[in-house]
Amino acid sequence: MIKKRFFTMIMMAMILIIAACSDGEVKSDAEGAKSEGSTTDEKSGGSLYLGTTAAPTLFNPYYSTDTSSSTIEGFIFSGLVTVDHDFNPEGDLAEDWDVTEDGLKWTFYLRENIKWHDGEDFTADDVVFSYNIPLNEDYVGPRGLPFEVIEEINKVDDYTVEIILSEPYAPFITITAQFEVLPEHILGDVPVADLGTQRFNTKEPIGTGPFKFKEWREGEYIELVANEDYYLGAPKLDSIIYKIVPDMNTLMAQVQVGDINLAGISPEYMETAKNLEDKGIVKLESGPSNSWEYIGYNLRNDLFKDKLVRQALTHAIDKEAIVQAILDGSGTVAHGPGSPANWSFNPDVAKFEYNPEEAKKKLKEAGWEPGADGILEKDGQKFEFVLKTTSANEIRQQIAEVAQQQLSEIGIKTTIELLEWSAYVEETSPPKWNFDAIVAGWSIGSDPDPTWFWHTSEIENGLNYGGYSNPEVDALLSENTKLSDLSERKDIIGKADAIVTEDQPSTFLYNPQGHLAVSIDLHGPKFSAANTYYKIHEWYVE
Amino acid sequence: MITYIVRRTLMAIPLLFIITVISFTMMLMAPGDPTALMMDPMIKQENLEAYKEAYGLNDNVVVQYVRWLGNMVQGNFGESLIRQGVPVSELIIARLPNTLLLMIVSSVIAFLISIPLGVISATKRNSLTDYSITFVSFLGIATPNFWIGLVLIMFLSVHLGWFPTGGVSTLGGDFSILDRLHHLILPAFVLATADMAGLTRYSRSSMLEVLRQDYIRTAKANGFKNKTVIFKHGLRNGLIPIITILGLMLPSFIGGSVIIESIFAWPGIGLLFVEAAFQRDYPVIMAVVVIAATLVVIGNLLADVLYAIFDPRIEY
Repeated sequence: MIKKRFFTMIMMAMILIIAACSDGEVKSDAEGAKSEGSTTDEKSGGSLYLGTTAAPTLFNPYYSTDTSSSTIEGFIFSGLVTVDHDFNPEGDLAEDWDVTEDGLKWTFYLRENIKWHDGEDFTADDVVFSYNIPLNEDYVGPRGLPFEVIEEINKVDDYTVEIILSEPYAPFITITAQFEVLPEHILGDVPVADLGTQRFNTKEPIGTGPFKFKEWREGEYIELVANEDYYLGAPKLDSIIYKIVPDMNTLMAQVQVGDINLAGISPEYMETAKNLEDKGIVKLESGPSNSWEYIGYNLRNDLFKDKLVRQALTHAIDKEAIVQAILDGSGTVAHGPGSPANWSFNPDVAKFEYNPEEAKKKLKEAGWEPGADGILEKDGQKFEFVLKTTSANEIRQQIAEVAQQQLSEIGIKTTIELLEWSAYVEETSPPKWNFDAIVAGWSIGSDPDPTWFWHTSEIENGLNYGGYSNPEVDALLSENTKLSDLSERKDIIGKADAIVTEDQPSTFLYNPQGHLAVSIDLHGPKFSAANTYYKIHEWYVE
Repeated sequence: MITYIVRRTLMAIPLLFIITVISFTMMLMAPGDPTALMMDPMIKQENLEAYKEAYGLNDNVVVQYVRWLGNMVQGNFGESLIRQGVPVSELIIARLPNTLLLMIVSSVIAFLISIPLGVISATKRNSLTDYSITFVSFLGIATPNFWIGLVLIMFLSVHLGWFPTGGVSTLGGDFSILDRLHHLILPAFVLATADMAGLTRYSRSSMLEVLRQDYIRTAKANGFKNKTVIFKHGLRNGLIPIITILGLMLPSFIGGSVIIESIFAWPGIGLLFVEAAFQRDYPVIMAVVVIAATLVVIGNLLADVLYAIFDPRIEY
């Protein structure tokens, strides 16, 4: 009897094993060309293997917010325009466009030879349909803001669309017009309230981009195959495999063994990446990132209300040492907001260089005197605060430690608090703003509009977490989005950045360098802060 | 026996209920929510509020729990908050087979290696072999298996290239059992190491106990060969308590799979749980908690039932 039961158990186990060996994935019904692995002809074909540590969520640009989803959406869909390596707008679905002098009416002339991945023709109806989604009152998605300025969208003819704005808005061309267009013939009849949960978004996205969706294997990878009918010509790559890996260690191991042939490298893995380059496994493509890292102060806190104090804090922190010791030189010291990768960058701002003596002098001027224990005091209050950052970022933790040490040298006591990412966001963002100071970073995006970070209107619900407010900056920032002339705009943004730098609402630390590890047989990728996958249809694996 | 199983199963219901109440409350009390991932200049606060409203995240914890429980008892785990429109059951169905496969194969490996080692250790008591096995066992108990996993990946996968660094199959390749096994061996072995050391010690003690029994001495006195006495008479009885451990091992496999799946990029429910926890995808977290708790309850029940099957002295 025991033998019989034992045999039955073994049989059940075998059945489970066989069941597990069969496909346990969420499969697509969408048809795509069969992957041919990585066998290639020279200068044509092959597969691009990308890796991500954060799984995508869904493929619909009006509902997704994460980088992985956006990257894949960029392969499947196209927008009216895209940006080149230097942030210049370039026609995509739109062959050309013009704007009236008052900046209110934009007319887009669409290409006529474009087909959706299911073979249908792309027309103006698709643009009118797509750009109206965020304007619909039933829309429950995160992308309302860039479309707020749109008053109406009109189809002039099958290949011409005009968009009327309620006020001039310079970022319209590089933000709003970059939004990908969805197929009206598939989604046109779906109530807008239901668009976010459509099967289309996860199982069968249909776009006009260079690659077609083939399969999403749950927890493993997303496979895209070349769109032979792509309007700029069939991509040279056969397919793109977007692998989902649990962490950067695994990702780096996969780069090393050649399972991933293109990966962005964060500063803590630069040493490993350089080793791989020395061994001839990858080549590194590098350049300035469109971002900056900073220590942000909560200006609601009495400690940080005085500009002199904030300038003193910046004087006390050795940014060059941070760049050299923590980043291994992979960044440039920042003095103000913005990034040298961006056309709007103003390098001629005030510089509060590392100078602990100057810091002490300014603090004394502001009324802070050393107490019996060496910690600065003013009106019975000690100068001590909590410096928060996220446990998910090793570099920021190290920066917090360096800042703690260097601030203690001028009599300021800091306590470091590390929070898990979600908890960190909840604590530091509206409506809590529960922090004294944070170590954080901002990315600028395809348009350099600094309104998000410094305008008073962004304090209540926006990204101006520190609560910085300066009427002069407000006026300049309000002006910047109304100018379509780039040099005039650069001038205005530069002036605003100079005032912000003088005010030091944050200690601007550095602009990181970005790095791409590219396997030696992959041709095409070039590091770009603006558009990593620019002209991806021309890339190939040798 | 049937009555006992039914009684135990009924007793499991309030237990599972309490587990879900505690888990749900802790999950919602933890800081952060799914909108933490949506830190983007292009997202308005109103958009975030509309999202929270649409998914009932603004309701109090009791309302959310009752709603979740109502759906769950009808077999509906709800929809993912992050992968909007995707039912949680679909995510679980896609991942559970991978975890079960890993658990079963690692159990088989653990038993196949530990029991013979335990038996050898017991029969050669106080010899160099015994001491060596004991040393390795204690080393195994003291070494975290995630570390063993990382070391094996570095040497066997990255340096020697003998095994893949992760995943369940070769990307773009056709389905093949051999390919699956190739991907399975390392994670299954590392997961097995969590229990191997303990099992070896346990089977050694169990065998030592049996070898001291009168019937073993009698069998030896009757002239049976040493091998026959150990394997036919000793092992059969020595295995009884070890087999019951199978059930008790289930919880450790669930816990272990969370770590091992993360290291080996093995897309099972352990990895799904980790992803969901970071993203605060509440319905997914709860679904995995319910499955894991159910497996633990089943494991314990299985242990008791197996004991009754293999040891005729036990009566229920």
